Amino acid sequence: MKITVSINLGGYSFNIDEDAYTELKRYLKNLELHFAEEESSSEILSDIESRMAELFRSKLTSFKQVITIEDVNQVISVMGTPEDISDDEKRSAGDKFSTPGYHRMYRDPDRRIIGGVCSGMGAYWDIEPWTVRVIFLILAMIGGLGILIYLILYIVLPEAKTTAQKIEMKGDPVNIHNIKESVKEEFNTVKKKMNL
Amino acid sequence: MQTRKAVQKMFNLKTIIMDLENIKAQMRKGILEYCILSVLSRNSCYASDIIKELKEARVIVVEGTLYPLLTRQKNAGLLSYRWEESQQGPPRKYYELTPEGQKYLADLDKSWEEIVESVSLIRTRKKPKTSKA
Repeated sequence: MKITVSINLGGYSFNIDEDAYTELKRYLKNLELHFAEEESSSEILSDIESRMAELFRSKLTSFKQVITIEDVNQVISVMGTPEDISDDEKRSAGDKFSTPGYHRMYRDPDRRIIGGVCSGMGAYWDIEPWTVRVIFLILAMIGGLGILIYLILYIVLPEAKTTAQKIEMKGDPVNIHNIKESVKEEFNTVKKKMNL
Repeated sequence: MQTRKAVQKMFNLKTIIMDLENIKAQMRKGILEYCILSVLSRNSCYASDIIKELKEARVIVVEGTLYPLLTRQKNAGLLSYRWEESQQGPPRKYYELTPEGQKYLADLDKSWEEIVESVSLIRTRKKPKTSKA
């Protein structure tokens, strides 16, 4: 037995398995990210949704009334992933998004203890935040220098709020693939927390 | 600052030197746009009709490529669309060429013929047997 979800895709209503729904939603979200720079991205997306609805309709019969994960995967392979679609634009798109490969220091709110300064520095240099914290503690004990530096950095460094900033913090080039990965990562952590 | 400039230069160079895959992709993209306009020059179609023709002619690999192109051509004023009722389901979007699009296509037709002519001229030219007789 499986739970199904009822969705409206391109003006048609479908019953779709929960796992298939998750996959479809992820795919559409990726496309949305991919076309975010386009002038009429919502129009492109709604065209794509209408077409997908048509493809799904052709898969339903009176014996088969629910969209399954196989259907979703098959339709996605017909429509193409954002990477397939951008096949010919890869270079130009890649240039736009990832050439600079910005690497900036931010405060890391995800692993912070006080203000995220040490965890941000740890992420920047790819070392354990505790190493940085210990150095700060030692500096703080020598005449409070560590506290002063910490305060200055706290003011100077911006907090990494968006996914793009979090990727910049670690120094990976910012592109759709990375954003997707890091969104997925975040999703998994949330899921784990919910199970606890 | 200087290193950044140097890196930028290297990237530019990298994009100038196109590899085979890129050339193929560029060709496909240009041809695909041309084919879309040609399909629509015969009669107005809705997206799935266009897809069917393009797939039969094997100029398109994944369907998703079509939609951004259609929207871009529409935004450029080459295409327009109208909504048409359909017997099954929601209304469909029918695309057609605008007068501007027809003019554009006529230009493309001409340059396509020129390209084909030039390329075949060069490709069929025989290797000169002996340069020094």
